[in-house]
Amino acid sequence: MFLQQLFKDARYFQILFQSIFLGYGILFLHWQAAWWLYSTYFITSITTQLVFEYFLGKKTFAYNKRIAFSFPSVIISSFGLSLLLKTNHVEIAALAAFISIASKFIIKIKGKHIFNPSALGIVTAIFLTDTAWFSPGQWGSGTAILFGVCCLGFIVVTRVQKLDISLAFLGTFAGLLFIRQIIYLGWPIDFFVQSISTGSLLLFSFFMITDPKTIPDNKWARIVWCIPIAVVAFYLTTFKFINGAPIVVLILAQPLVPLLDWLFKARRFQWTTSPKYNTTKNDFLLIVHTKSIM
Amino acid sequence: MKQKLLIIGAAIIATPFIMSFCGFYVSKADGTLKNKTSQVILVRDGNKNVITMYNDFKGDTKDFAMVVPIPVVLKKEDIKVVDQSIFQKLNDYSAPRLVEYWDQNPCYGYREDDKMAPMANKSLSEVVVSGYGNVRKKDAVKIEAQYLVGEYDILILSAKESSGLKDWLNENGYKIPADAEEVLDPYIKSNLKFFVVKVNEKEKKKLNSNFLRPIQIKFNSPKFMLPIRLGMANADGDQDLIVYAFSRKGHIECTNYRNTNIATDKNIPLFVQKNFGSFYGNLFTHQWNNENKAVAFLEYAWNVTPINQMKCDPCVGNPPTEQDLAQSGVWWLNGKDWTDYSDVDEDEMDNGSRNVHFTRLHFRYNRNSFAQDLMFQVTPNTENFQARYIITHPATGDLSCDAGKKYLQDLKARRKKELLQLTALTGTNINNWQDDATAKNDEDTVTEAQYATLLPEVKNESDNEKTLPGSMILLSAVILGSAGFMRWKGFV
Repeated sequence: MFLQQLFKDARYFQILFQSIFLGYGILFLHWQAAWWLYSTYFITSITTQLVFEYFLGKKTFAYNKRIAFSFPSVIISSFGLSLLLKTNHVEIAALAAFISIASKFIIKIKGKHIFNPSALGIVTAIFLTDTAWFSPGQWGSGTAILFGVCCLGFIVVTRVQKLDISLAFLGTFAGLLFIRQIIYLGWPIDFFVQSISTGSLLLFSFFMITDPKTIPDNKWARIVWCIPIAVVAFYLTTFKFINGAPIVVLILAQPLVPLLDWLFKARRFQWTTSPKYNTTKNDFLLIVHTKSIM
Repeated sequence: MKQKLLIIGAAIIATPFIMSFCGFYVSKADGTLKNKTSQVILVRDGNKNVITMYNDFKGDTKDFAMVVPIPVVLKKEDIKVVDQSIFQKLNDYSAPRLVEYWDQNPCYGYREDDKMAPMANKSLSEVVVSGYGNVRKKDAVKIEAQYLVGEYDILILSAKESSGLKDWLNENGYKIPADAEEVLDPYIKSNLKFFVVKVNEKEKKKLNSNFLRPIQIKFNSPKFMLPIRLGMANADGDQDLIVYAFSRKGHIECTNYRNTNIATDKNIPLFVQKNFGSFYGNLFTHQWNNENKAVAFLEYAWNVTPINQMKCDPCVGNPPTEQDLAQSGVWWLNGKDWTDYSDVDEDEMDNGSRNVHFTRLHFRYNRNSFAQDLMFQVTPNTENFQARYIITHPATGDLSCDAGKKYLQDLKARRKKELLQLTALTGTNINNWQDDATAKNDEDTVTEAQYATLLPEVKNESDNEKTLPGSMILLSAVILGSAGFMRWKGFV
């Protein structure tokens, strides 16, 4: 029963896969595992969540239940930072984690937060402090198989995650790269394969841009929204040589989400479990399962 | 105790490389091409780049020619020749190092200071012989500029299509490798120019020297890359490339290949001292294979700012002086600026921005593992790194006291570990080290703790090499399997 319960929430899968990626990086790719860095991300994120939830959280139900419910999201954000953001400074790591979590409470419209927490933390740390960086090369390209399999597994298992947006983003981005590198410039195919099989790109496409809380609720709005992101990211990557361009563009595009939500009415996404769970008398779960209509 | 040792190991010597840095060398006669490790100095800050290319060409300079793709047409003042010795200095300073320690005899209060043995890294550079003919203009190829710099005649070409460029080069006496066209076309379409170099015999004679000096070019471009693909066109083996990079902010990192640190701070047997070059060569080859080849190895990273006191720990060569850095192309020292360019950054001279960070990257590339040119970025990472291997001399003298007996036990255990470490690092069989272990080097040590005595014991503990793809497939299968199982069981 515990297992059943666990797998009802797609976020647990995300945590599972993220920890596989991190473990893979440390064990097989011999990353210089900076334990102090990972712990800073986790401790700061959790503390920020505890404090903000206490003072700013919606008082709809008990504090401990709210914390229990938001816990997986905090872990996901911390993993997101651990996988993508590097720095030599504890305070910068703490700042990134703080901004990630605090933004969920502070920057929101109609109760829906605007920015993807880890993406915002990464972008602020890199571009505002200039003491943190993003290593697009850290995965190599041999990792593609593992990523492919994990992403596939994730989709098969959860069905919650928004596959449409992953495919629309990746399709557009890879399509443009293909046109540029193979059709226009005439590089051999392995040149192109190396470009699209980097771990950072796949991680972004399947685990960052898919965050259902920070993308338009309507399916078509999502696709309309993510295609320009892919185009601009392609432009910045190819012609301006900006590393991590997709994350930057994502952050710039996220303020448009409330507008798209207003234009395209759809059911608001809530992290949820299957309907049969509604039969429990647990008030907390009942509230979570209720899908609000905008 | 000072000892100079070769660093490029037997494994490297055994592999035939055909060398060329950045560009490709084209040969008039289909001569035999020789082995080489190429070396490049990169300096990058903002969009400004200085690239210095090492030239260890030996042979008739009439036959020398080089083609390097560059992003912009260079002005004459952006090209200069620099002193050859700068490469040796940088190499000596940043090469992997062997450090020596002496155990203290626990039965006496005797002590000797820690010492370390400096290493001289000698590269096996040999540039490929090439040809250069008369320049004759053709429509498909435009000569953007033509300069005489030092002993070199330099042309900067732009082309509309690869076949035109190929014909032009062929007609002018370059023998273009068949595969080169595959790369020329994308380069032309990416709007790259071609920096073509030959030796001016008249100027060369004036110099009265056999060496061709390194060429240094500088330009403004957001592209931070090294075009290695052209160099692969006429090569059919693995090529080593050492990049010495300088930035104001921190490490230089490769963005389209995986960066990894070479194994460091390992205790290895005493006898490795005699053959450290071979040891490191084996180690590099082993790690390169283990990491799936398409990697950038970090061998050294340090803050070498002239005012900074601590430049290495320990130093194998003299740290680069301000003059060396200026020679390498670091322009932001001492109030010097990017004078040859009009668009100097606003922040060029601001407070304390005289920092210089040195990164040494080692690549071994071939066509299969390296489909793309090397792209780099400057990161704010300021962590120091050095490839450092430690040998420890055992205590000598009478060890019959209690503490001495204990020491002997520890020594035996430590030396066994060192032997295992040696095989793990180099991927070699312990038997390969038999000769080294049994050679005279250890006679001061008590017999039972000699490497020769311990070797047979260690042999039994064989190393199990795990293969990366195998474990990955297994992991993938487990994930897919469990997902499928849970789906089938209705857990999800």
